[in-house]
Amino acid sequence: MNRGTLPILARLQSLQATSRIVPGGGRVIAEVTDRNPLAQLLRAANETMLGRSLRFDSSAGPSLTLDVSGRRVLRLTDAQGLPGAESCLGLEALEDEHKDALIKLLQAVAAPRHELRVTSGPIGRGGEEVSVGLPVALLADLVLIELNATGPDEEPAVAEVVVPPLEEIAATGAGLSGFAAAMGPGLVAWLIAGGSEDGRTAGPDEMVSHLQGFLDDEGEALESQLDTLSAAPGDPICMMLGATLLEGHSILCARIGPSVLLGVVEGDATKATLAAWRAALR
Amino acid sequence: MGVAESLGAVVKAFPQARLVAFADLSSRMILSSSGTLSTTQEHLDKLCDQARASFDDPLFALSVEAFGEPHSAVVAGPDNVRVFLRSESEPADAICCICDHSIDLPAFVAKIRDTLESITHGG
Repeated sequence: MNRGTLPILARLQSLQATSRIVPGGGRVIAEVTDRNPLAQLLRAANETMLGRSLRFDSSAGPSLTLDVSGRRVLRLTDAQGLPGAESCLGLEALEDEHKDALIKLLQAVAAPRHELRVTSGPIGRGGEEVSVGLPVALLADLVLIELNATGPDEEPAVAEVVVPPLEEIAATGAGLSGFAAAMGPGLVAWLIAGGSEDGRTAGPDEMVSHLQGFLDDEGEALESQLDTLSAAPGDPICMMLGATLLEGHSILCARIGPSVLLGVVEGDATKATLAAWRAALR
Repeated sequence: MGVAESLGAVVKAFPQARLVAFADLSSRMILSSSGTLSTTQEHLDKLCDQARASFDDPLFALSVEAFGEPHSAVVAGPDNVRVFLRSESEPADAICCICDHSIDLPAFVAKIRDTLESITHGG
């Protein structure tokens, strides 16, 4: 297929897609069965050329409102139930330094297995200057989402491994936190124990709590298992364990220096891991 | 196709796979191997031990508790990527691989899963 036609096909498909309108004028863009609500959120933003305010509500509770124009996210104007939003709220324009924080907020509001609604309204502070803000395409690249996908997200439409350049991944942050960010939305829950990144977490509380309990009980045994698999005790190592690694859920464990990351990957665990790991080792 | 031919076909399809070996994890033995990586028996024994360690506690127990019994493991270090797959029907049968980081991991994992089940079932 000619790559130039992909955006057109995606747009046509979007226009033909059945949308469930909800009271208040919003529409459901991701059902509870949707495996990647974040993709639907980014596509909704990417299809917004004229300046609009988009409010995204998750059935899990959190919501956020973005000023969007010209396929760019200009600013975050409201956030409810999203810890960490203050670093992006109230800014005149989002800039490159805010992209990691914004992605975390988007991932939190577009949580898997929850309905996601969007409500469009007049833009807050004008959107005529579309050279500012963060390009939706950049955000999509960082979380390994194809904006122009023409099929359902659960279908592996292309065999090629789509990962951002190593330089781009490395820019998301060093160490295991950067590794987690580069893994994208497939890494649905994780925590880091030890070292300077100790205590960093993301994902549903009950999953993080379970992982924390495991590390509390089995931390020493885990270090021993990792030592058995690494070239020398304490060496960097990344391990995935699952039924197939290509679908379902898998365990992800990585160690760099004194820090250990333990997480859960949903879907294809093999897709982003190697590029993210190489970047983390730089 | 015999075991050696099956392993050779994997290496031919994925040149970044430096070593592809068929192992019996219960007896800790590599039964056949293919690839450009020069190895000693000591290296092969160590690879087999690492496969067993990958499917061992505590991560094995965590996986079983959370999602069911794991049959696939990928271990990445600074220098290479090791892929270990156990047969779902004969868990002692396994394929152990050493690959470059540049390998197309999703395609490779799918390929060796097919190869392993084919070997296990005598195909």
